[in-house]
Amino acid sequence: MQAFHIHYRNTQGTLMRILNAASRRGIDMPYVQAIPNEHAHAVTLLLDVNPKQTGQLCRDWRAIIDVTDVRAGALAADMTNAGDWSAPHPPASVSAPAAARSAMA
Amino acid sequence: MLRGAEIVLQCLRAEGVDLAFGYPGGAIMPLYDALRDSGIRHVLTRHEQGAVFAAEGHARATGKVGVAIATSGPGATNLVTGIADAKMDSVPLVCITGQVRSSLIGSDAFQETDVFGMTLSLTKWNRLVRTIDEIPLAIAEAFHWARSGRPGPVVVDIATDALKAKMEFAGPVKFQPHPKPADVHGDSTFSETLIALLENAKRPVALVGAGAKLSGAIADLRQLLDHLQIPTFATVHGLGAVPVDAPYYLGMVGMHGTRAANLALDETDLLMVFGARLDDRVTGEPTRFAPHARIVHFEIDPAQLDRVRTCELAVIGDLAETIPSFYDQVRKVSLPDWHNWRAIACGIERAEQDPRGLAAPAIRFLDELFSRLPEDSVVVTDVGQHQMWAAQRFRSSSPRGFITSGGLGAMGFALPAAIGVQLAKPETTVLCISGDGGFQLNLQELATVRRLGTPIKMVIIDNKYLGMVRQWQQLFYSRNYAETDLSDNPDFVEIAKAYRIHGSRLDEESMADGNFAATSQAIDSFLHSTQPELLTFECHPEANVFPMVPAGARLSEMVFEE
Repeated sequence: MQAFHIHYRNTQGTLMRILNAASRRGIDMPYVQAIPNEHAHAVTLLLDVNPKQTGQLCRDWRAIIDVTDVRAGALAADMTNAGDWSAPHPPASVSAPAAARSAMA
Repeated sequence: MLRGAEIVLQCLRAEGVDLAFGYPGGAIMPLYDALRDSGIRHVLTRHEQGAVFAAEGHARATGKVGVAIATSGPGATNLVTGIADAKMDSVPLVCITGQVRSSLIGSDAFQETDVFGMTLSLTKWNRLVRTIDEIPLAIAEAFHWARSGRPGPVVVDIATDALKAKMEFAGPVKFQPHPKPADVHGDSTFSETLIALLENAKRPVALVGAGAKLSGAIADLRQLLDHLQIPTFATVHGLGAVPVDAPYYLGMVGMHGTRAANLALDETDLLMVFGARLDDRVTGEPTRFAPHARIVHFEIDPAQLDRVRTCELAVIGDLAETIPSFYDQVRKVSLPDWHNWRAIACGIERAEQDPRGLAAPAIRFLDELFSRLPEDSVVVTDVGQHQMWAAQRFRSSSPRGFITSGGLGAMGFALPAAIGVQLAKPETTVLCISGDGGFQLNLQELATVRRLGTPIKMVIIDNKYLGMVRQWQQLFYSRNYAETDLSDNPDFVEIAKAYRIHGSRLDEESMADGNFAATSQAIDSFLHSTQPELLTFECHPEANVFPMVPAGARLSEMVFEE
């Protein structure tokens, strides 16, 4: 697993383009966190990639117009625990059947 | 006070746009309503895909930004193939689409599609414009990104109420991009490194791609190659960049490249790449590509580096700057004598063999056509066997003289693209070559040709098959011609007649020596007409394109016959 830290200006679609560079290669993204970072934004990704993919991804990310910095970095503890909370939420109708029934009425 | 639509058009004029291709519809109606007196000529195609390919043709012929306009929903989805094509082939293109009212966006309204999301991965940049005040900067930014760096497509999707709204308009604005960090610039000492690599090279070669043309570096490149005198070849998009009569030029490289070019690329120990992506149609099996070579890659787009193999030296930047910079240094040093290597690579033993087999008449027909074209003519091809035959036989040294859908390989490209080319170069002979399959993907554009009176010379190489797919079925799928039979094709001459375009036909018998005087006259008559003309050439259904590097093979493992 390799962590990547990407800084970008939060313009329309820039975060989606960053994520798309990984998804179009069929690479799973077990950890993604995007946060404001001073005047720009930063997204951290954890990806299972080989060295060639790392090079391609970094070059693709740098080519995105509003990406300002790309770095490969170390894993943080909370990334490896991502599986604890990354399961999908259940549908609302399961946890709130009464509300769902009233909505259907 | 100006309406948003009028502001869009004024901004387009400020960017130098005087021609746009499009197809109207609900959400884009305000823009069409404002077109009159805008100073922009609009060409109505008969399908949005025709509009975007025509805009691409115009851009590819001129180097300017092409403009295509469509409405929301299906109008926008019909643009997508052309947008993808422009991305793959680095064509500067601005697409403007109408979107549903801003209050309805995201509600699955009538003719709503998520144009922004849909085109995100196919564009260099795109923008959903929700309010009128966003329009001037969005248009300026769109043109900046379409033409800067490695050119490409952008999309501006404008809510219809923004087009209808009014505001005070102070005039078009200039877009100032944020500076990018200087982490991808080329090493300024690259010339020394490259000279050292050349001094140690025994078998250097040069590979020329579209980037050399796009950067406007053709004269500089030719000067450098004349100095180096090393075996040189081109990708399909690099055709015309190197004079065909240069003694070191070996023609097209790749899956259907010349024997000499593919062998030289397989044997080289130093590969200099000038503006090419090295896609798999050029490299053959990537893991077996140029196995002895160190690679030096001149490239404007860092994202294209190391896609196949890690290069020894990346020279990142505009080729119009890096090539002259290198030439200034390399001309001062004494390079090794590569005479023996050049004699082997360019020698008679590796020369092209005369066309033979079932494809010989079709190839002779193309040779006859090409030999009669003025030097500044433009050949536009569709995708398939005819495309590769044309690329193999193309003999022009005109840098923008061969236009095709290379990266995406989009059938249906040629006819609408030729319309864009002919409008850009009204005095030039534009020869549009299609197959019978591809022609039927956009034949509705015959109506556009007729309306405009553009004297395009349209050739259909008709083998009554989806020929390239059939060839693969023959060679690799035990002749199981599954769903490639087009033997019930319409009569294309009668189709042309229905559009009030004159058509004529030739076939393999026409190329026989005894019939050739009449055939020669027919070809001359076809090319010299001042009107649009259609000429069909019926060729053998099982004619194939050779040489061919089979999928998974090394470039040296070419097949020459079935």
